[in-house]
Amino acid sequence: MSDNRTLLTDMAAGLFADLARKPFAEAWPQVAEAGFSTLLVPEDAGGFGGDWGDVLAVLRLAGLNALNAPLAEPVIAHYLLAKAGIAAPEGLVSISAPGSRVPYGRHAAAVVHVEGGTLSLYRADACSFDEGLSPAGEPWDAVTFTGAAAATAACDVDLQALGAFARVAQASGALEAAFTLAIDHVNTRVQFGRALAKFQAVQQAMAEFSEEAAAVDASAAACAAALDYGHASFEIAAAKLRMGIAVDRAVPIAHRMHGAIGFTIEYALNHLTRRLMGWRSEFGGDAFWAERLGRRVAGLGGHGLWREMAARTDRLVG
Amino acid sequence: MQIFPLHPFLPEGDIPALRQQVRDLVAQHEAKWPVELRANCWFSFDEEFSKALGAAGLLGMTWPKQYGGHERTMLERYVVLEELLAAGAPAGLHWIADRQTGPLLLRYGTEAQREKYLPGMARGEIYACIGLSEPGSGSDLASVRTSAKKTNEGWRINGQKVWTSGAHKSHAALTLLRTEEGSERHTGLSQMMIDLDTPGITIRPIIDMTGTHHFNEIWFEDVLLPHDALVGVEGNGWKQVVAELALERSGPERYLSSHMLLVALIDAVGPEPDAPTAQLIGRLTAEMWTLRQMSMSTIAKLAAGEDPVVEAAIVKDLGNAYEQALPRAVQAAVDADLAGKSDLSRLLSWILVASPSFSLRGGTPEVLRGIIAKGLGLR
Repeated sequence: MSDNRTLLTDMAAGLFADLARKPFAEAWPQVAEAGFSTLLVPEDAGGFGGDWGDVLAVLRLAGLNALNAPLAEPVIAHYLLAKAGIAAPEGLVSISAPGSRVPYGRHAAAVVHVEGGTLSLYRADACSFDEGLSPAGEPWDAVTFTGAAAATAACDVDLQALGAFARVAQASGALEAAFTLAIDHVNTRVQFGRALAKFQAVQQAMAEFSEEAAAVDASAAACAAALDYGHASFEIAAAKLRMGIAVDRAVPIAHRMHGAIGFTIEYALNHLTRRLMGWRSEFGGDAFWAERLGRRVAGLGGHGLWREMAARTDRLVG
Repeated sequence: MQIFPLHPFLPEGDIPALRQQVRDLVAQHEAKWPVELRANCWFSFDEEFSKALGAAGLLGMTWPKQYGGHERTMLERYVVLEELLAAGAPAGLHWIADRQTGPLLLRYGTEAQREKYLPGMARGEIYACIGLSEPGSGSDLASVRTSAKKTNEGWRINGQKVWTSGAHKSHAALTLLRTEEGSERHTGLSQMMIDLDTPGITIRPIIDMTGTHHFNEIWFEDVLLPHDALVGVEGNGWKQVVAELALERSGPERYLSSHMLLVALIDAVGPEPDAPTAQLIGRLTAEMWTLRQMSMSTIAKLAAGEDPVVEAAIVKDLGNAYEQALPRAVQAAVDADLAGKSDLSRLLSWILVASPSFSLRGGTPEVLRGIIAKGLGLR
């Protein structure tokens, strides 16, 4: 764990809470100003020198506050550029993985694309975007590269997997925030003469909700630990898939608990649940990761699965 | 507020070597285990294997050496347990003594009780069962009626216990009794260690829906126990039982009951399954992987001296849901011949029928979610 994590999370928690529900144009300059983009860039290269545990902590807070700004994207882009020894351009740098849209592409000064073992940095004038929106209204833009890359380098990183990890991390925060809203609601909303929380059916549903949030936290933490160790492909596939299951089970409960109140655009819940529903598909949906993980496990054989799982955690103990 | 604050799992010692020790031991014995015995394996019996585990120092691992234990850490014990369960090794004989009765005697038992039972338990030779439920006392355990009356010669026991797992294979039953006549609910209860060869005890089998005998009824008719059969403090039985149940809810057994079926599925479809089967294996793996992370965090918290009641309930509820859904998901995905002779067919057929029991032992989903809701401040 980075020594500065508490400092970092205190700062992020304060800033993101201030920026909650603010539009992109207001939120992004302040996120950029705070310097989160260089979270994973080593200190001697002018960065924060953080680790993946720090990234998880910060992204979790971004998800918790439904931040209307890219954060994972510039963090990952700057990390990859620093690794490749390419100077990062000024402004927002987003990421492009094959088969995925570019988050906030239209606002980016540059895009890092990784495909076939090669990283390419494209400036905005070499990109053409087919603009789209996520279910939560986040810019999801499909890119066509119309000009030459400004720089290229060899890169063995699975960018789609890093994107998937980012969404799991954000989802862990969004689930906690949705859960907190639901708890507050059932504790205060009175129907039939008592608080909703006093109904056993409501208690049981909230318990189930808490289990799903807990599962995403656990799978996200395993990813961060594995990324800090070096290899996290198994952990990320499992986590993205587990997040899909959690969204499937928890989002309906969040809304059920709130009734019609939770379905309004005014109320905070939709900013969380719409994001959760969108992130489930982004950087590989359930079917993609399930097949990838399943094929890998099939290759290990029946008892090989357990041996692999045990070895993956034993390596962290060392 | 993070609902499930994670605790790092950092066992000391050479963990890969410990795993290998267990795997080698399993390899020496597994040829004689039919697949049905390896499924739901904490209800399967192999006396030779239990004794071999004892001889290898893998039972009573955390207990003091003076009682035959090995003074290893809770996390090392956890590693051994998960290896045994993932391998489907029959653990039913020593299971309760090692997991619950031994630790409870260490905590509350007299010196004489510890000396009498613990070394044999650690050798895998003395087995125990737990006398809690009664015909009128299931989930509502505080309503037990079986009574112990203090007399000059000792305690006189009368009543009936039911659903007692493994009583017919056990040497002793740690039993919850009403020691104060006319007392109600949580008061007036005490625990006693009852040798099952004591005159007046009748054990009758209850065959479960898989056709297996692991449940029993125990009848006590004027059974005379010595005064020193009392475990812990007279009247403190409820508190002691709650501590005992916490030991029951925290382990890796709560998500691995169906694991042998997943193993068989993976082996049956081979290294290049079709897309839907690959996806099924991927989804099940993702759930199991996550459950293991949560289970490890929970045991690490316990080992650190904390009391993760809510976390343990979450792991058990999610774990039971997973291990119960697994056979249904396999059945839905694979065109299986349930009367067939293949490992996959036999395991699927067996586990489908056994799976309702997974969420009974140690609390149904409704009970567990009640515990979680309480932890969340909702009740």
